[in-house]
Amino acid sequence: MQTKILLDEEKIPKRWYNILADLPSPMDPPLNPQTKKPVGPDDLAVIFPMELIRQEMSPDRFIDIPEEVRDVLRLWRPSPLYRARRLEQALKTPAKIYYKWEGVSPAGSHKPNTAVPQAYYNMKEGVERIATETGAGQWGSALAFATMLYDIECTIYMVRASYTQKPYRKSMMQVWGAECIPSPSTKTNAGRAMLEKDPDTPGSLGVAISEAVEDAATHNNTHYSLGSVLNHVCLHQTVIGLESRDQLASVESYPDVVIGCVGGGSNFAGISFPFAGDKLTGKHPDVDIVAVEPASCPTLTKGLYAYDFGDEAGLTPIMKMYTLGHDFIPPSIHAGGLRYHGDSPIVSKLVHDGVMRAVSYHQTEVFDAAQTFARSEGIIVAPETSHAVKAAIDEALKCRKTGEAKTILFNASGHGNFDMSAYDAYYAGKLVDYEYPDALIREALGRLPKVP
Amino acid sequence: MLTIGFLVNPIAGMGGAVGLKGTDGLLSEAIRRGAEPEAGQRALAALRPLKELQLRFLSCSGGMGEDALRSAGITGFEVVYKTPEVTSSDDTRKACQMFSDRGVELILFCGGDGTARDVYDTVLDRVPVLGIPAGVKMYSAIFAVTPEAAAEIVHHWVSSPPHLRDAEIVDVDEEAYRCGELRTRLHGYAKSPYHPGLVQGTKQVWEDQDEERAKAGIGRFLSEVIQGTPEILYLLGPGSTTGAIARQLGVEKTLLGFDAVMRGTLIASDLNEKGMLGMLSGHGRCRLIVSIIGAQGSVLGRGTQQVSPKVLRKIGVENVIVVATPHKLSETPLLFVDTGDVELDAAFGEYFSVISGYHIAQRKRIGRVSSGI
Repeated sequence: MQTKILLDEEKIPKRWYNILADLPSPMDPPLNPQTKKPVGPDDLAVIFPMELIRQEMSPDRFIDIPEEVRDVLRLWRPSPLYRARRLEQALKTPAKIYYKWEGVSPAGSHKPNTAVPQAYYNMKEGVERIATETGAGQWGSALAFATMLYDIECTIYMVRASYTQKPYRKSMMQVWGAECIPSPSTKTNAGRAMLEKDPDTPGSLGVAISEAVEDAATHNNTHYSLGSVLNHVCLHQTVIGLESRDQLASVESYPDVVIGCVGGGSNFAGISFPFAGDKLTGKHPDVDIVAVEPASCPTLTKGLYAYDFGDEAGLTPIMKMYTLGHDFIPPSIHAGGLRYHGDSPIVSKLVHDGVMRAVSYHQTEVFDAAQTFARSEGIIVAPETSHAVKAAIDEALKCRKTGEAKTILFNASGHGNFDMSAYDAYYAGKLVDYEYPDALIREALGRLPKVP
Repeated sequence: MLTIGFLVNPIAGMGGAVGLKGTDGLLSEAIRRGAEPEAGQRALAALRPLKELQLRFLSCSGGMGEDALRSAGITGFEVVYKTPEVTSSDDTRKACQMFSDRGVELILFCGGDGTARDVYDTVLDRVPVLGIPAGVKMYSAIFAVTPEAAAEIVHHWVSSPPHLRDAEIVDVDEEAYRCGELRTRLHGYAKSPYHPGLVQGTKQVWEDQDEERAKAGIGRFLSEVIQGTPEILYLLGPGSTTGAIARQLGVEKTLLGFDAVMRGTLIASDLNEKGMLGMLSGHGRCRLIVSIIGAQGSVLGRGTQQVSPKVLRKIGVENVIVVATPHKLSETPLLFVDTGDVELDAAFGEYFSVISGYHIAQRKRIGRVSSGI
């Protein structure tokens, strides 16, 4: 019985899928933080290469992947799609569970899918250095790998809590030649301001983004790079869903449910946008698409759909998205990559319009699920990924009750080999089930930027 | 060099061993039942690891300290209180007064809740206090988990400045306790050293590691909520965590009482049941903010008698907000509600979402109270 569904290297997608072309209504535009007017290409040219700005705003349904980029992707793509038969047996479910395994990339997650094209376009424009931020270290290590390929210097502001918790991610960045700095740092105004306000802060993605944007904006030879949230990042990740759809088609299948975990939304966009496109265009109107987030940082399930900054200091464009407020510092859960106050504007719109839905889980229950997965399928997933595993298991258990044989697809976005301290805490009974007291927060004073 | 006032309540724990659930007033009965002093052994377990440290001890003669210090091989001590043949709570108080007068930096005592109360009554929060657990009941929050943990906390104190926190001293009604009923009453707040590493995975969760920082976050968050809901009357329960909310609002709060706040202004202090009912009938919506009392996870118990079932029903269980620092929550696996009204207790459901920081809550399971905890 087939377990792994593999594609030839030639089947690596030649084009990314741009869901903006299939949205029934246009996106609300990002706004300039100073003028509050829609952002134009020139506003972004200080920190991004022009080709990425074009992709960010492109109305084209498909965008060609450069051959040079596909050549690098061959190192790990097409990634395998697994039929999780052992998990199905463990759950005694009639459901068919498939997972796309993105842990095979050099950095161990889906992140290089966008790091490589981003570094490539920067190289094409002659950029010498890239500054970025990283939460749990997945993005930082992916960009360190990608910039190394194109001989670009890389400076990474790593959220302080993760910098301490996950020293080996920092080591990986060093192996690939990047500089990794704990954030908030004293190198930027944003970092210094945060440290002055609270010297013991664990940091947050919002602060680290402010630092990296400021670094790029104040150095002529430096661009900024973001590992999630933005349209072009989601675009690059669609190779995940495009391959998955081909792989399922090769066994004459199509998913009833598509699941991914959400921090900024890129891996979820990657697995789900091609299927959401099928839904929007009427090819598969009933596919159920589920975004999974932590109960401690429940942006899509409890946030407001409103304009807000993407970072703590208010340097980035103001975007219409689900947000918990740009000054929200989520508790230090082990799924550091899901600690973001906002979300991809496209994912936000699709959830808001009912094309997708969102669920949230507590920390302990997702580790229960990760353990079940590891003990059936063998793979130890990252704490972020365990959220998707939990939702897939819950869907499969629902099928056990109803007797339905649904086809469930989820994105196994990364391995947890550097997250053993999180598993240790789980086994020591020390995981805390954080929550977001949304009702009380809504009653407190308003903190979103005033947009005319 | 750190100077420690050290004392042992030699009779602590004797009642427990022979099924008396406490020794207060029952020493002769305990001895008749064959109880033997055990506190000395517990004290010894805490002292042995301290032998190599540069410490100066002030203590009491014989069984109230000297014997344990000598057995542990500690020589750097001075006897400042002569222990009488038969000891009582009076001796604990007198010895602590001597320690305080001599300027000790920490009082390390070995005993139970009764001893803790005697120490606290003498030095209040002027001198930090750490308990080596040896009593029958240890519901006060100044006790280390084990004697060895007490030693470790002292070790940490020597190597770096201590973290001090407010720790509840609770009274347990011994008579009721012997009848299988836990009745506690908040007695006061002592200052006590703690070391987060002893209860938390190191480097695991940053905001768990600083009590004052967590309290300030809770205070800031709920003061914003109070100001954002001017139509709601808030009753702030006892404790230093709820006190942080009052501090943020700039209002004077009684430490052990229930105070009423509206639109960020204090409108009544130290309310009893009647006062609360009067307040409630005059206002529309009301919320109650309470913290966890003592080490046993009590949220609303028979100790907080002002908040009677009648008051709670009037407020509504959905309007009860529980606050606690992450450190306190890490020490408290289960929370308990024991209002004396079983139906009302059940209405709280299975979990509390406890506010533990700025915009942060933790889900904690509510335990079921059975007779004779």
